[in-house]
Amino acid sequence: MNMLFFQSEETLNEWLVSQKAEHRAVLSIPQLWRLSKRWYQDRMSLGYHGRTIEQVQAIFKDLGLTSEFWQA
Amino acid sequence: MNETLIWEIRAFVYRHLAETIHPPHVDEAALHFALTHEQAVSAYEELHRRHAFFLKPGTHDILIANPFSGVETAFKVYANNKTYFANCAWDSLGIPVALHVDAEVEASCAHSGEPIRLNIVNQQVQDSDVLVHFLIPFQNWYNDLAFT
Repeated sequence: MNMLFFQSEETLNEWLVSQKAEHRAVLSIPQLWRLSKRWYQDRMSLGYHGRTIEQVQAIFKDLGLTSEFWQA
Repeated sequence: MNETLIWEIRAFVYRHLAETIHPPHVDEAALHFALTHEQAVSAYEELHRRHAFFLKPGTHDILIANPFSGVETAFKVYANNKTYFANCAWDSLGIPVALHVDAEVEASCAHSGEPIRLNIVNQQVQDSDVLVHFLIPFQNWYNDLAFT
């Protein structure tokens, strides 16, 4: 899994070096909570049938996630 | 199989996960909906194809029904007097959102291993300096979901 928690920017940067990985998208806990609310609030509903790419992109845009990382 | 039944099976899987923390075996779905084993297998495969949930390769066992994990992980969510397992940092907040309950998330820093605890109270996450890093760009999320 590569959506991971880090206790600080310092431990994130050390991990990136150890994994030879690039610094990509970082969210704070309040940002992740807002994304989770939009993404999962109706997941238990019988009426949830998934989302189109356009619907996903609208969620990202509403939350200010507009960098290349979040593009389809 | 008609569309209505397909989505009823998806909802049944999610209810089962919420109530038991485990995804239902394909034969439990067959029994619940009075289907043959083959019909239930076909429904599970169709829901996998539609990304409604994801089967363990080569089986009909549900591995991932986001935000829930079908197997134990290092992302624990305590809620409803149960311990749910999430697939990743994001999904660990997704479980209390999906269930509309307060919860405690228990995980660890991916580098230091230090414990990380997050509390969701009155359906709001309590303030924290913890960060979440997303490594895989959105356009590649469904290439290998277990890795993403």
